[in-house]
Amino acid sequence: MDSNRKIKVLYIDDEPNNLVSFKASFRFDYTVFIANNTQEALSRLEEEPDISVVLSDQKMPGVTGVEFFEDIQTKYPNPVRILITGYTDIDSVINAINRGHVFRYIKKPWTQADVKSAIDEAHKFYVTSTLLAMKNDELQKAYDELDKFAYSATHDMRGPILSVLGIIDLTKNAEDITEIKEMVSMMENAMLKLDNYIQNLHDHYSIRRGELNITDIDFDNVIKDMSDLYDITGKIKNINFTKSLQQNCKFRSDDISIKIILNNLLSNAFKYQRKDNADKSVFLNVKVDNATTVITVEDNGIGIPDKNLNNVYTMFFRGANDEIGSGFGLYNVKDALGKIGGKIELQSTENEGTKFTVTIPSK
Amino acid sequence: MSENKLNFIVIDDSKLDCFIADKIIQNTGRAESIKVFQQATEALSYINTTPSSATTIVFVDIQMPVMNGFEFVESFEKLPDNLKGNYHIYMLSSSINENDIAKVKGYSSVKHFLNKPLTNDTITAVLEAF
Repeated sequence: MDSNRKIKVLYIDDEPNNLVSFKASFRFDYTVFIANNTQEALSRLEEEPDISVVLSDQKMPGVTGVEFFEDIQTKYPNPVRILITGYTDIDSVINAINRGHVFRYIKKPWTQADVKSAIDEAHKFYVTSTLLAMKNDELQKAYDELDKFAYSATHDMRGPILSVLGIIDLTKNAEDITEIKEMVSMMENAMLKLDNYIQNLHDHYSIRRGELNITDIDFDNVIKDMSDLYDITGKIKNINFTKSLQQNCKFRSDDISIKIILNNLLSNAFKYQRKDNADKSVFLNVKVDNATTVITVEDNGIGIPDKNLNNVYTMFFRGANDEIGSGFGLYNVKDALGKIGGKIELQSTENEGTKFTVTIPSK
Repeated sequence: MSENKLNFIVIDDSKLDCFIADKIIQNTGRAESIKVFQQATEALSYINTTPSSATTIVFVDIQMPVMNGFEFVESFEKLPDNLKGNYHIYMLSSSINENDIAKVKGYSSVKHFLNKPLTNDTITAVLEAF
């Protein structure tokens, strides 16, 4: 919660004089919204979702303050409600407080100190309870992820191990040296797959828990690193790898996050090529301008079917029948982008290719 | 027990596990034919278009991308009876997840759940029934 920002308060009263004096008294302490009737109050709540405290007069024509609070409780559960009333309504006040509709009540005529302390207390309550709700959401997400992880880990980590055990069982009876050599190279592949999975897992947790290390990013170096990784792959698989860079200004961000993003996007671009394509290509374009970096990674590979476009960032989702996919790559990309405040867009046509556009603001 | 010949279908996204299954099946000496598919969708369309008159044993992995083992079995069960009569499905997995194992029991067309990797001992036990 930003402490520099003023607390947003909504005050509802049918008496215009009260509204004016309320606003005059508190305009320096809070951002004050006023409403002459409940209809107007509803529009204010709609327009300003982060109003944290709502104060209402009890006696208004048509609807009472308590009734109004009851009405808004479901649609706007977060703002803390304070009732302002004279002594005569004490029964309805007690009732309202007991039913949980009202956090505090202030008796008329109010003093500035009373109101201020009530608003400050209410705001504290608001911050704690919204924070708690946020934390609960995060916790639920973490639990869900853990469930998924436990399920997938048994498969993805045990899989290669069990394959190797299977091969070892076979080699016991194998006589032919060529066949044995073939089996050894298969075991090697299984171990590489496991290693790749563990590598991805490591990336995942370093993005999650790791602190960002913001430095000047020299994209010449970043692209050189990617060339070291992928020029050879390109040669072996006969894929043209074209890189271009235009850096017009300084750019600050987290080096590791940027590399995780690029590495995963490129790895996919090289992996999901069409076998029968004579002109296999991957394009990496980086443009740094106006304190923003725009990276595009484009390929003319197999593309992504429309029905999968929304799932590609989901953990462990695999859209293709390939052997090496771990279902981690784009999930890690999205996670890393979340940390450095970036965005990703995806355009893809099946059997034509895929283009990812990443936009990252400088820190 | 008569040593009659059988047809086999192996469905697994892992090339390596297909290789293992293929070898193990060959070693039994009972194979008339072995078909290997790395995509469940391809196996399904094969079954759908190839009338089988002989007993065919199907080993299908559970966790696969695009169409997983469960989806395969569900689609298989929707095929007309005259097509699926000769197929005997066994599900394989590296999973030690109780839910998966319980789920396998829910499919009437699945004979058994087998742990990976497929070994001589497991396949011998399976083939005793045929």
